[in-house]
Amino acid sequence: MKPENPFLAVLALAAGLLFLSPVLYSIWMSFQTADAYYTGNIEFTFRNYEMAIGQYNFARYLVNSVIVSGLVTLIGLAVATCAAFAFARYTFAGSNLLFGAVVATLMIPSHITLIPNYLTLAKAGLLDTYAGLVLPAVSNGFAAFFLRQYIRGIPRALDEAAYMDGASPLKVLWRVIIPLSKPAILSMGLYIFISEWNNYIWPLVAIGREDLYTLQIGLARLYRVNPGEDIIDWPLVMAASTITILPVLVGFILVERHLIRGMMMGAVK
Amino acid sequence: MSAITLKDIRKSYAGGPQILHGVSMDIQHGEFIVIVGPSGCGKSTLLRLLAGLDPCEQGELLIDGKRANDLPPQDRDIGMIFQNYALYPHMTVLENIAFGLELRKVPKVERLKRARSVAETLQLTSYLDRKPGALSGGQRQRVAMGRAMARDCSTFLMDEPLSNLDNALRVAMRTEIKDLHRQLGATIIYVTHDQTEALSLADRVAVMKDGHLQQFDTPDMIYDQPVNRFVAGFLGSPAMNFVPADCIDDWGGERDIDVGFRPEALSLNRSPVRGPSITARVVLTEMTGATFIVHCESEAGRLSAVVTRGEELPHEGDTIWLSLDPSQALCFDAISGVRLDLPVMHHSQMPKTHVKETA
Ligand SMILES: Nc1ncnc2c1ncn2[C@@H]1O[C@H](COP(=O)(O)OP(=O)(O)O)[C@@H](O)[C@H]1O
Ligand SMILES: [Mg+2]
Repeated sequence: MKPENPFLAVLALAAGLLFLSPVLYSIWMSFQTADAYYTGNIEFTFRNYEMAIGQYNFARYLVNSVIVSGLVTLIGLAVATCAAFAFARYTFAGSNLLFGAVVATLMIPSHITLIPNYLTLAKAGLLDTYAGLVLPAVSNGFAAFFLRQYIRGIPRALDEAAYMDGASPLKVLWRVIIPLSKPAILSMGLYIFISEWNNYIWPLVAIGREDLYTLQIGLARLYRVNPGEDIIDWPLVMAASTITILPVLVGFILVERHLIRGMMMGAVK
Repeated sequence: MSAITLKDIRKSYAGGPQILHGVSMDIQHGEFIVIVGPSGCGKSTLLRLLAGLDPCEQGELLIDGKRANDLPPQDRDIGMIFQNYALYPHMTVLENIAFGLELRKVPKVERLKRARSVAETLQLTSYLDRKPGALSGGQRQRVAMGRAMARDCSTFLMDEPLSNLDNALRVAMRTEIKDLHRQLGATIIYVTHDQTEALSLADRVAVMKDGHLQQFDTPDMIYDQPVNRFVAGFLGSPAMNFVPADCIDDWGGERDIDVGFRPEALSLNRSPVRGPSITARVVLTEMTGATFIVHCESEAGRLSAVVTRGEELPHEGDTIWLSLDPSQALCFDAISGVRLDLPVMHHSQMPKTHVKETA
């Protein structure tokens, strides 16, 4: 281990504080009364959280967000991992072309697919359902691409050893490839989860029923609490924002410990 | 019934040149077969076809008398030990060994018992809970063997299993593999580029070159009666000397014949001798342990001879006369390299065509 460079340590600390300061400030603000905030006084309260969870139904939104992001992540990872395994290990007629098509989807802005997706789901009667929120997000070209690159780095001899041991292709995927891709799959899962958690435009379009709102839609609605009044209850908004951020933060801290490097050590040679 | 029969097996990879040019072999149950040849001659390719890891499209592969060209690897009752071991890095030693049993739905108690007993045979008992990353090369090699052995297959394929080990370990493992073969009674097909390994392990040796099977016979036959110059030169260390017949004094001077003789068959003389001999100049002497190898330069090219320790060694630059016993010489067609079964001619029966002055 190299000794820490004190200058770098100070720099990292400063940068960390800089990034953290808006978050800390909004958490601080979420515990102030609105009156105190607008008059510049300091007055501590839980009222904002009570209001967000009770009156503004954020507990419900939180559950919705967890369900939707969770399903998108699980199904998305399952689809992407299978596709990645196939693209990494098999060549078949048109496999390169097909993989090219998957990569090409990365270059299409999601806004372009908004209306076609909306029309498709409307025809299928899936607007205003969880399925309507989840299904369009589960095919993830980037995840398939990313995981395929990772799997290609796993020595093929390990697959072959498993075949010799009596495994079927699905067993090879499940017992060899997936355990060895754990760091990549977890990173990708985290990335998908956060993207979906932050997704605003699609739930806005696909959902009209209030009881299916996700956190982001609920949050946006807080800005129009009192039509006609141009005063926004910022401490309330900050309390709702904190509710929105916290699960992701906790989730990240939990998963991050599992993003271990060096899983391939000792496989060959 | 033969354990494995290969009939005219050919192989080329898509868009590439042909790698195997019609290999045929008949392997009996319980035989220890070693496939030997220089790197790139197609040994691994052949083994992968036997394992079912690559499709076998041309020729016929029979396992226990039944056509097996299209049988997937898991249905072949074959265990394989990979050159790089290919251990599962996320599993412990015990799990690595038991994995094949688990896939074959052997109940947990039973499979752990079997894995433990295999580990005991291979002296791995103290490492059962370690991951491969925390093992030495020799230990990994044992785990790789254990993984194949646990399944109790009738045939084992080994692709240069010892090539990543240091020399002492390699020699020790060689003996152990031979012992294991006796215990298991299984058919073993063992690939190596090391001729010593081939001769010491095999019941029968298959010598390959450029995708052609050159000779398939017992080590004795391969060593004493190689079918051609390649086989003669590839097996045996130091390698056999080849000299055009007309470069040997007192030989007979047949044209277009190369005479091959092993370095052990040459004796060194300090002065001209009667009988077939070659005059040479010593370039280098090399100690190998019990013997010295004397490298010399002659009119016929580089030659090597073996001198036992204790005999007087020539010095660099000395001129020596290497005499050879015709009964230990082999004759090869100078162009095709095929060994010729010439009657051994004694020099006294042959008319002297020329006498070379000794420099
Ligand atoms: N997957 C492959 N695709 C194309 N060529 C290959 C492939 N595998 C091996 N070869 C070629 O086949 C020849 C024989 O290889 P191999 O069987 O590995 O030789 P050996 O094991 O005797 O050293 C080599 O020339 C190698 O380049
Ligand atoms: Mg090889």
